[in-house]
Amino acid sequence: MMSDRTKSALVDTLLVGSVALLLAFFYVPIITLVVFSFTGSRMLTLPIETWSTEWYPALFAKGDFIPALKNSALIAAITTIFATVLGAAGAIAWIRFRFRLQTFFRALTFAPLLFPQLLLGVVMLLWFSVLGQWLGFTTGLASVVIGHIVYITPFTLVIVAVQVYGFDETLEDAARDAGASGWVVFREITLPLLWPGIFSAASFAFLLSWGNFYISYSLGGTIRTLPTFVYSGIAVGSSPIYPALATLNFIPALVLVVVADVVRRRAARRNRLAEPA
Amino acid sequence: MRIDRKSWRDPLLLGTTVPLTLLMIVFFLVPLAMTGILSFQTTKYYRLIWTWDLATWRDVFGKPFYWTIMLRTVAMSLVCVVLSLAIAMPVAYALATRLGSLQRHVTILITFAFLTDAVLKTFGWILVLDKNGVLNWGLSYLGFGPQALNLLFTPSATMIGMVYNLAVYPMFTIYLSLVRIDRDLQLAAYDAGASRLRTFFEVTLPLSKPGLYAGAVLVFVLSLGAFLEPKVMGGGNSPMASELIRQSFETRVNWPLGAALTLVLIVIGALSLAISALVAMRRRRVASPA
Repeated sequence: MMSDRTKSALVDTLLVGSVALLLAFFYVPIITLVVFSFTGSRMLTLPIETWSTEWYPALFAKGDFIPALKNSALIAAITTIFATVLGAAGAIAWIRFRFRLQTFFRALTFAPLLFPQLLLGVVMLLWFSVLGQWLGFTTGLASVVIGHIVYITPFTLVIVAVQVYGFDETLEDAARDAGASGWVVFREITLPLLWPGIFSAASFAFLLSWGNFYISYSLGGTIRTLPTFVYSGIAVGSSPIYPALATLNFIPALVLVVVADVVRRRAARRNRLAEPA
Repeated sequence: MRIDRKSWRDPLLLGTTVPLTLLMIVFFLVPLAMTGILSFQTTKYYRLIWTWDLATWRDVFGKPFYWTIMLRTVAMSLVCVVLSLAIAMPVAYALATRLGSLQRHVTILITFAFLTDAVLKTFGWILVLDKNGVLNWGLSYLGFGPQALNLLFTPSATMIGMVYNLAVYPMFTIYLSLVRIDRDLQLAAYDAGASRLRTFFEVTLPLSKPGLYAGAVLVFVLSLGAFLEPKVMGGGNSPMASELIRQSFETRVNWPLGAALTLVLIVIGALSLAISALVAMRRRRVASPA
């Protein structure tokens, strides 16, 4: 019979082991792509005999991904602005206000999160197609941007809502008592306190839009984004330029995730300092 | 946290709710209604004709072809739920209780993996699961026969892809319900002489059920729409509903059919949401004495 201490040590090991296994599972395809982007052969199989960085210049020499890259950047930028502003405003109404029809408002703004993206894309495509018959509207950049905003805003709303939930209004009251106007209170107190949530919501919005496949694919018409470009590329055949493109594509996510964490930690430290001991 | 009652005359309330509400009505609710309307129209020579007709719905419910694919989609989604929860539960529990200062780093790693381009990760999986891919190379390195596993373009590959993309959702919901559990309840159980295992099954697990339910429903609903995984990793050999929907738009240019199939999936998802909400409400009534 095992002693209680060995048993709990075993449980600890199993639990920590499960996290390690999960991380391995999550990173298998990512590391595979990075490794294969440096192969010296045309074949994407192991073992890799020679190493080379030739696929990165080859990717740019070919350059056919550049229009898709530009579209992705433009769509992600516009989506980030709208999804973050709409989501942050919605989050304040979600958490701090009570009003008639609030249940309807909450359901309506949360529902797209519970929708498979493919179905969201299809439903919107049908609407845009009908609009096209009536008004001559064609799918393209505008429909993709609208689709991304509808899908991503519930995410930003939830992220900012968490920040609003932990918000300490006495700080606003104190500023008001000290004679600050409504706008000054908002700019000097409310916004800085909500900033970490708004910043990580914006990072999430950017990355969800940047990597989005389903909605861009459904609503893009002839417009290509990076994910739909890669999708049609790998259907034709795999060449090491796709792992190279993938590796470059991981960089914005890496930068934003790390920066978001730094911002969050600095804000947490500042809030700790602000609290009386 | 303070909560303000607001009337609809308040400009602050109008400003924070109206733009978002309008967006969701015009580009989410109206499209849903339009999908319903379109499912009762017909097409002729690849053109939409505005009539009211049940022909599409008779097809959808009458032909075994559609039933088979719908049932396969539901079955795959259920398996995906079970596997995702089996992965998410220990990880969320470890994140909430064991990792300490490592927790932040693990969260960043999970977030990064979640936020990178899904098409690229799916492509990465092809390189892993291919006959000459990373997995078989590793297995033969370990002494198993050459090309021991032939996973690519099978339903198993589809399942790996689906679990890969969706397991992070229950991880999040379970984690949130675990960190909200009052630590005193667990300490009380220890004081009363319960072992750690018994405390887990009698205190922690029941209290984390909201997270489990929410995660399960989320995975189920989202996996109903899986398209990339069955297409790219499964090789299109055992198509799921999404492939059917895509074909009815692209190949057959049949909007009513695509609309009807989309609605079937939405109704299945909505029903599962409603059932889980009912179960959750009944549990709450049982839990709180009148």
